[in-house]
Amino acid sequence: MNLLLSDRALSVRLPENGEDRYIDLSELKPANCTGCFGCWVKTPGRCVIRDDAVRVYPLIAQSRRVLYVSRLYCGSYDIPMKTMLERAIPVQQAFIRIHGGETHHVQRDVVEKEAVIIAYGDICEDEKELFRRLVGRNAHNMSFRKWNVRFVTEEEVDGAVCGEVQKWESC
Amino acid sequence: MGKLLIVNGSPRAPRSNSKRYAALLKEYLSSGTDEYNVTEKRHREICKRLGQYDGILFVFPLYADGLPVTLMYFLKELETYEAEKKPAVHVLINCGFLEPEQNDTAVEMIRFFCRKNGFPFGAALCIGSGEAILDTPFVPVVKRGLKKFAKAVERGGNGLFKARMPLTKRMFVRASSKFWEAYGAKNHVTKEEMQTMKIEG
Repeated sequence: MNLLLSDRALSVRLPENGEDRYIDLSELKPANCTGCFGCWVKTPGRCVIRDDAVRVYPLIAQSRRVLYVSRLYCGSYDIPMKTMLERAIPVQQAFIRIHGGETHHVQRDVVEKEAVIIAYGDICEDEKELFRRLVGRNAHNMSFRKWNVRFVTEEEVDGAVCGEVQKWESC
Repeated sequence: MGKLLIVNGSPRAPRSNSKRYAALLKEYLSSGTDEYNVTEKRHREICKRLGQYDGILFVFPLYADGLPVTLMYFLKELETYEAEKKPAVHVLINCGFLEPEQNDTAVEMIRFFCRKNGFPFGAALCIGSGEAILDTPFVPVVKRGLKKFAKAVERGGNGLFKARMPLTKRMFVRASSKFWEAYGAKNHVTKEEMQTMKIEG
């Protein structure tokens, strides 16, 4: 499965092969993670907050390619995307393993994936560097086998997404 | 130093480890402090009162390798605060992993926020193994870090301090497994159930 997860509506059309999913977070209302650890110690693998987020994190886990589209804020994904990524912790176990020489959570049934992140907004060089660093950290915790970050202006988002989706078709 | 505003950025602020770290830190601060939990959602009102403070301390857990969204909402309000002299910003961050360095990116995000918005950046304390360390015999390790950090905050200086359990990674993996097993047992959930590979299954 390939997943396009965006914090804004896009004009892109996905290939009609049943393999690809598009989620527009601006149409969903996921609450923020409350740090209750319920998905680890009460209902393992399931978030106790039963809102829109519970349909999204299984798709993240199942996808072998993810394309995230997000505005940046202070070198981070801005609030809509960050909210969703925080709510995706049911895909991990509470238990810790050594991975890449560091301690990280054990993953549940999560497909190793290639990630492309289209980061948009008015982004200076320092912020780009910081965001690359964040995605590098995420790679350890979100099963990114390969990852690439593209920085674009707001006007360039649709074109950049189309280009990336076309690559899915040729794979 | 004058008064310090402690902003607890944890989504479970009233019963968070961040609250416990803030309480311990206060033992080493001679200056007055006020505390604000971002879960109270009175961001605008708090930001209007910033003129009373010489420093702001953000205390929060690492979430998905970065700042918790609950704190980001507060930062967006803080951006609108205009004053000739802005308080220095300090950071105390903890993560559940052994390595305090896993917090570094989040510290840099706050530093970036300060640069962009004209707040002087002060000191930072990064705590590894922060989910459990306060319930282990390693509390003195944290206290040493907090003491050094408190001194830096009071003199308005900078510095990056770190604290973690003095364990090898393998020992930490074993210790954390016991911690989480016990946590599950309190909810009548077994280790095997916690280890399910199913997601929403």
